[in-house]
Amino acid sequence: MLFMTTAIGIIANPVSARDIRRVIANATALQITDRANIVLRVLSCVKACGVGKVYMMPENGGIRHHVRRGIDRAENQGLKHFPVLEYLDYKISGTVEDTFRAARLMQEKGVSAIVVLGGDGTHRAVVTACGDVPIAGISTGTNNAFPEHREPTITGLAVGLAVTGKVPSAEAFLPNKKIVVRVNDQEEIALVDVAVVTERYIGARALWRTETFRELFVTFADPEVIGMSAIAGLLSPVTRLDPGGLHVRMAPEDEANIILDTPIAPGYMRGIGVRDYTAMKPNVKYRPSISDGSIALDGERELSFTRDDDVSIELIPDAFRTVNVSGCMQYASRHGLMRVNQKINA
Amino acid sequence: MTAPNSTAGIFPLDKKGLLKAYRTMRTIREFEERLHADFAKGDIPGFVHLYAGEEAAGTGIMMHLEDKDRIASTHRGHGHCIAKGVDPNGMMAEIYGKVTGSCRGKGGSMHIADLSKGMMGANGILGAGAPLVCGAALAAKYRGDGAVAICFVGDGASNQGTFLESLNLAAVWNLPAIFVVENNGYAESTSRDYAVAVDSYVDRAAGFGLPGVTVDGLDFFAVYEAAGEIIKRAREGGGPALLECKMIRMYGHFEGDQQTYRAKGELEDIRANKDCIKMFSQRVTEAGVISRGELDAIDREVVAEIQQAVASAKAAPLPTAADLTTDVYVSY
Repeated sequence: MLFMTTAIGIIANPVSARDIRRVIANATALQITDRANIVLRVLSCVKACGVGKVYMMPENGGIRHHVRRGIDRAENQGLKHFPVLEYLDYKISGTVEDTFRAARLMQEKGVSAIVVLGGDGTHRAVVTACGDVPIAGISTGTNNAFPEHREPTITGLAVGLAVTGKVPSAEAFLPNKKIVVRVNDQEEIALVDVAVVTERYIGARALWRTETFRELFVTFADPEVIGMSAIAGLLSPVTRLDPGGLHVRMAPEDEANIILDTPIAPGYMRGIGVRDYTAMKPNVKYRPSISDGSIALDGERELSFTRDDDVSIELIPDAFRTVNVSGCMQYASRHGLMRVNQKINA
Repeated sequence: MTAPNSTAGIFPLDKKGLLKAYRTMRTIREFEERLHADFAKGDIPGFVHLYAGEEAAGTGIMMHLEDKDRIASTHRGHGHCIAKGVDPNGMMAEIYGKVTGSCRGKGGSMHIADLSKGMMGANGILGAGAPLVCGAALAAKYRGDGAVAICFVGDGASNQGTFLESLNLAAVWNLPAIFVVENNGYAESTSRDYAVAVDSYVDRAAGFGLPGVTVDGLDFFAVYEAAGEIIKRAREGGGPALLECKMIRMYGHFEGDQQTYRAKGELEDIRANKDCIKMFSQRVTEAGVISRGELDAIDREVVAEIQQAVASAKAAPLPTAADLTTDVYVSY
């Protein structure tokens, strides 16, 4: 009989929530020890659901040292709280390449899901490289429109229930949209928003100079999130499960039809000049309205383009799967999955 | 052909500012490349630690400063000096130990200072600049002149007690002090992994109640933007902050360091793909605001200036025995 241990991957980014928004917008800086504690919480929850093996992305940002201490302490006490933990073996670059590489290797190792600790940028990097492996996001970044906000213990439990088959696939996972941006032969993705700005440099990456904003494409628009997608969310909400997205054209305030007061970073309210907004159709290539500028993916400037470049922006439905944390926990309750021993009739 | 002057909405500096930034970075690079060559020939006394490869950080920060703002530098201080406006001729003469030097040839590479430019000194004692900056920042706060004081340390010196105590003092007194950690990954030859318990400098700052920001120190614009916001905050009374610049040095810890701790091909990769000046040049020329010809013209001028600085330094006299007892104590 072939016995396979259910394995998952964890990619915890040590450098998310470190950018300029700590100064311009009083954003949170989640400490390394807190991130390690989140990893330990997830590890013990997936173990409780029957996950035997976890692969982690190696990093030199300090998370692994704290995780190791937690695991060593449990082992010294003879406790079996944690699954077998293995760090992927490669030379750490300290850049986003580590995330790409970890996601690819985890897929090759056949993990059933990848838990991601980071902001929108980290999630985007994992989705770029993880193929068809479902992900579960935990917000440790700055704006975090993509990962839902909840206690990581619950995310860990839901992942454990989903990957061990205790919750059937149809209920355990959800489809997600993405936007593909192509500049000539280069292809990048965004999970939430693509912004076109006039600036021609990457710099501190975050977007806060509203006068440079020209266009916004979003996969979903939630008025309860912050960041660029909040602009769309406050204009016309679109859910994660709706087939299309929203396309917003922006302009300097004197040329705008609407000035929209928007939290584009934590606690950072700015008036955004909006020209108009329309539905963004799936599988249709849009061209930016300006000939020269930069493209921000999920709130961070990543690409620059000129009039000589061929640029397209396309929304792809059903592009990747996420663990349906809420669905898993509701199912667990309805079907009594967490009732280990019941002596009375409920 | 000269490119158009308008950079509004495209870059955070106007064309004049971009050209100044380029000239500063190129001057530092040429200064350091020349020292590298001349040190190998045995022309230069003492030790030199070169800033080549890290120009974007010092320049991106110093572009926001005036003479009234003070900085305290490190043993790797040439780049900070040039970016702060210290005369490269005086610096070169100082490094050559000549009487025409910034400190009359008595300081050498690791003790170049020019108070008229707000440069309180390179420093051979690691972490020693941090308390000095607290003093300068306290003076600025007392005078109420809106000045800031900036301390540079490496990832190694960030473990020194002086640095940690200064973070605390700056926070307690809400000083306009800024702590820049120039993280090039190695404390001499010791990798940061072996020597820094709190791996994030943002966490370290948070431990003392300061906001911290990490930027790609190879990207001039990333440093310029982050430093601009941090300095503005300090000038407005927002208090101290920490800025970590992740960067790469092109040469060893000191001249003569064989760099056996680096991976094979690492230095070649740095030269080819991680040169902050090349990255800057590419950005501004691709955007069409500055032409390659304009940058080439600056290159030629800078080479001539450094050539002249070396020639003047070599021709200048050494201090005399009588100079031994001057400048030891301040005259009252």
